[in-house]
Amino acid sequence: MKLKTEVLVIGGGATGVGILRDLALRGIPSVLVEKGDFASGASGRNHGLLHSGGRYAVSDPEAARECISENKILRKIAPHCIEETDGLFISLPDDSLPFRDRFLRACEEAGIPSTLCSRDETLAWEPGLHPDLLSAVKVPDGAIEPFKLILENAEDAESHGAKSFLHTEVTSMLIEGDKIAGIEAKDLATGDEFSIDAEFIINATGAWANQILKLAGLRIGVALSKGSLLITNQRFAHRVINRCRPPSDGDIVVPNETVSILGTTSIRLEEVERFEVTPHEVSLLVRETSKMIPAIQGARFLRAYAGIRPLFQPEEKGNDRAISRGFALIDHGKRDGIKNLVTITGGKLMTYRLMSEKASDLICEKLGRKVPCSTHLNPLPGASKPPGSKERLQQFLADRGEVLCDCELVQRKEVEEFLGKAKLKNLQDILHRTRLAKGTCQGGFCVYRLLGALQPFTKAGEDSNKILKGFLEERWRGTRPILWGAALKEEELIESIYKGIFNL
Amino acid sequence: MHYDVIVIGMGLSGLMAAKTAAEVGQKVLIVGKGMGSLCLFSNTIDVLGQCPEATKMRDALPQWIKNHAEHPYSKVGLERIEEALFSFASLFPPPYSFHAIDHMNCLLPTGAGTLRPTYLIPATMIGAAPFDEGHTLIVGFEGFKDFYAHFVADRLKCRGINLHLPDLFYQERSATALARLMEKKSFRENIGREIRKQLQGETGVGFPALLGMGDPIQVKEDLEEIMGTKVFEIPILPPSVPGKRIFDRFKEWLIGKGVTFLLGHPVSKATVTEKRCRVIEVHHPPVITSYSADRFILATGRFMGGGLRADVEKIFEPTFNLPVHQPPSREGWFGDSFFGDLPHPIHQAGVLVSASLQPVDERGNMLLENVWVAGSVLAHHQCIVEKSREGIEISTGYMAAKNALGNS
Repeated sequence: MKLKTEVLVIGGGATGVGILRDLALRGIPSVLVEKGDFASGASGRNHGLLHSGGRYAVSDPEAARECISENKILRKIAPHCIEETDGLFISLPDDSLPFRDRFLRACEEAGIPSTLCSRDETLAWEPGLHPDLLSAVKVPDGAIEPFKLILENAEDAESHGAKSFLHTEVTSMLIEGDKIAGIEAKDLATGDEFSIDAEFIINATGAWANQILKLAGLRIGVALSKGSLLITNQRFAHRVINRCRPPSDGDIVVPNETVSILGTTSIRLEEVERFEVTPHEVSLLVRETSKMIPAIQGARFLRAYAGIRPLFQPEEKGNDRAISRGFALIDHGKRDGIKNLVTITGGKLMTYRLMSEKASDLICEKLGRKVPCSTHLNPLPGASKPPGSKERLQQFLADRGEVLCDCELVQRKEVEEFLGKAKLKNLQDILHRTRLAKGTCQGGFCVYRLLGALQPFTKAGEDSNKILKGFLEERWRGTRPILWGAALKEEELIESIYKGIFNL
Repeated sequence: MHYDVIVIGMGLSGLMAAKTAAEVGQKVLIVGKGMGSLCLFSNTIDVLGQCPEATKMRDALPQWIKNHAEHPYSKVGLERIEEALFSFASLFPPPYSFHAIDHMNCLLPTGAGTLRPTYLIPATMIGAAPFDEGHTLIVGFEGFKDFYAHFVADRLKCRGINLHLPDLFYQERSATALARLMEKKSFRENIGREIRKQLQGETGVGFPALLGMGDPIQVKEDLEEIMGTKVFEIPILPPSVPGKRIFDRFKEWLIGKGVTFLLGHPVSKATVTEKRCRVIEVHHPPVITSYSADRFILATGRFMGGGLRADVEKIFEPTFNLPVHQPPSREGWFGDSFFGDLPHPIHQAGVLVSASLQPVDERGNMLLENVWVAGSVLAHHQCIVEKSREGIEISTGYMAAKNALGNS
């Protein structure tokens, strides 16, 4: 098979699909390949924070300005992916008030609306906060659902003529003179190999940027910084709670529907594969975030997870928090003499659209096309006010059916809807697209049910118990760091079922 | 109120201890906040699923005891293990009786389509051993989400069908709801006739383990008569209907013997003076009641039962604050992989006891003179991997009571 397109986008994270949509809206044919599922990397492994820019106001004013500008755009184009919670930067007795005043000035300079609130006012809004807090600064932070955002970008791109191939890995690049003349790719599910003929290639693989560049004999400076997060099984605050101090470990709690996400750490990694959240990181996150919200100390945790931030660095630097969270757009024509290759890395989910715009502008310039960006003007396909809890309850009662996941009330028919879609190749793809296995038991019960329900759809020779064991190992990576208290009881239950009753 | 013996915990080990004490005329109180792991995991009686295949249990256990000096089985000894299993089995006269096949483990099918070694099996499961691949039909129910006939059948190389049930009053079809439906004669007759139509020469029919709560043998025999095949039950996800049958039988028997049966309330405090437990307090909101006894048996289970608890740093025993044998830090509780080659070290954690099942500290000093410990709360076993849960519960429950009563 040979595929021909104008632009090849490598990487199905927020930036990759953002570029795909941007180009599609400009009428430029493009194809995206992703070796896993959409949002498998840092795009799907973050705290889901709609930044106001406050977190960067003091340390990185440029990133802060980008954030607040994108914050306003995303509220317009993707309101259904956002919960408008607002955020508070709270000062505890240990925190310096001069820093708070610097923070307020920096917010003003970056154009971030900010209001200083008294202790009493703050506690009236958020009674769960530490009662000794001194004050809080309110900023327009929010919660954003990355996976939905990314899927809809992909969907919109496809409805404008773009194509994407999941579970497809780029295996080699053929360089002729000053350009990449051909790309070989492999469908990881079927093993089929095919070639892609593209005029222009954009490497949007984030932390994996150097793995792709290696195929062209190139390398850039990217520091890999692991950020670990914890999910609780209840929501501890209505607003995003930040600590008003220089960015540090365990200084943010982001609400996400019924749960809270505690973050983060920043640990330098050498390799991008196989990374774990350590019990030490978990203890640190619990200790630090419970200074802001004391009840976190006794919380029931669901899972720990980590993402890798690709931090672009022209030269080696020591402290990862000091490296800009801004992004880098590297023209390998200018830098390395390969004319049709661009790498975009660094940055963050919050600025994915801006990154996509800049990358697409560069491609258009190279292709000699003069079409302006329109992603900031056109809302995503599902954009509308999200239904409230009342509507959702009515909907649930109206089409009540067999429930596979008792924790998150996911119905069997909801899962079956996905089965017809050819792109879904494995269990994780289904888990990505529903709330199944996201609740308290973390799939301990419902994934067995899912595989049971899927049995009539499975291919001959496919061993569901192997898939089940694979899932339980993947689940283990998330639950192992948080096993004490009530979560440990759950562990005993799950182990007794799968190793005991089922003898797997 | 004063008793001869108070048993704390209402899982299989507590029930066995209460039975053993009641049998010799003791005045017994059994108090438990829940029904223990019986109603979750116990379908059959595992003794040592891990022992070599085709070995008689009587030959496998002495070897095991020899190699595992600190294991609860080593504290009970072969003879008493056999006595305890006999005592358990005597509570279940035919037709719903428990048997071992040729004194060995046998392999029974599971809800994941695997085969699993186990020892004593109830009469409703005996038809599955040995499992007859080509000649078995596996039956599931549409809308029952804890059992998938095709999933099971595919792995067991036989055929599976799903029965459609008319929409009854049950929005959710749970194992217990279906078990009660099965007790209706008309319901099971309809099921039997429907399956008979769909048989393609199969000689055995496997159902999820929900063939009735009170009289499963009647359900089984009726189905067998209508279909002309043998019928057996397959263990499934919790809750366990066969485990509930065991619990109900114990409860009936103990109450018949005059045992005070206090289910649903945790022990909130135990008062100890001069190395003796004097009084326990049971919290039934809004009142707290005190009960005293000469002897106490602690059979509170592991983490799920509440017999062990863990905070971020360590594992502890909440009732008497007994020393808990455990890995040095939380980093060492679990291995990197869920299905690793080695069991997770935390499973060895538990309460340390003397040869007579009395709590001791790390140096072996007796801590409480009138307390005996039984069941999975004990240290130095890995009941999940060993497949020894019920065997440990039955034998230590029996032995703790025997030791407490001074007959050992």
